[in-house]
Amino acid sequence: MTNYKTIEQTTIFTQMVANKQGWDLNPDKAFYDTLVEGLMKNYNRYGYFLCPCRDTEGSREADKLAICPCVWAKPDIAEYGHCYCALYLSKEFVAAGKTPKAIPDRRFEEA
Amino acid sequence: MNLQNLPVVTKEGTRNDHSIMVYALSTCGFCKRALAFLDANQFAYKYLFVDLIPIDVKNGIKQELKERFKENVAFPFAVIDDKKYLIGFIEADWRLTLQV
Repeated sequence: MTNYKTIEQTTIFTQMVANKQGWDLNPDKAFYDTLVEGLMKNYNRYGYFLCPCRDTEGSREADKLAICPCVWAKPDIAEYGHCYCALYLSKEFVAAGKTPKAIPDRRFEEA
Repeated sequence: MNLQNLPVVTKEGTRNDHSIMVYALSTCGFCKRALAFLDANQFAYKYLFVDLIPIDVKNGIKQELKERFKENVAFPFAVIDDKKYLIGFIEADWRLTLQV
């Protein structure tokens, strides 16, 4: 089945995104696993990798900005050191040993 | 807020000094952390995974929360004692509001 992702495939997806962008994945294994499971669940129910910390607006078109990696990941990582759901972290943030915490959702700034 | 017939989960706990209702996503790391925080501090609370209910029902809940608290709804969204609220999980804020 092509329209179904496994944990392994979802993990590889996140690794590819992180490598391409020069980000680190969340080093907290339990937290990372929750997010990968969440991403996989979203793909398997919606058909795309909707951010695990954002709820669907009902369609791919409406959700398109929040599909992982979301359009706000870059500015969030630049400003806070990690993206909204904290899947991706800047290398500096990780090297400094910092822990992600909830940040404002830029999705609301677009509205 | 009419939550009848929705899969609201009630957690037992020894701390009953606040009424706590958490709206969360089953896929979100910060939501999971928030619930774990409440568990670890033995709070009695209720939670609802809004990604597991029909979208029109979810949107109704979000609309009601938005109108009531004049805030955009992000998750976790916790309503404390029916009047205060917490958005997102920042442990220091939750400790302060819940007097932990």
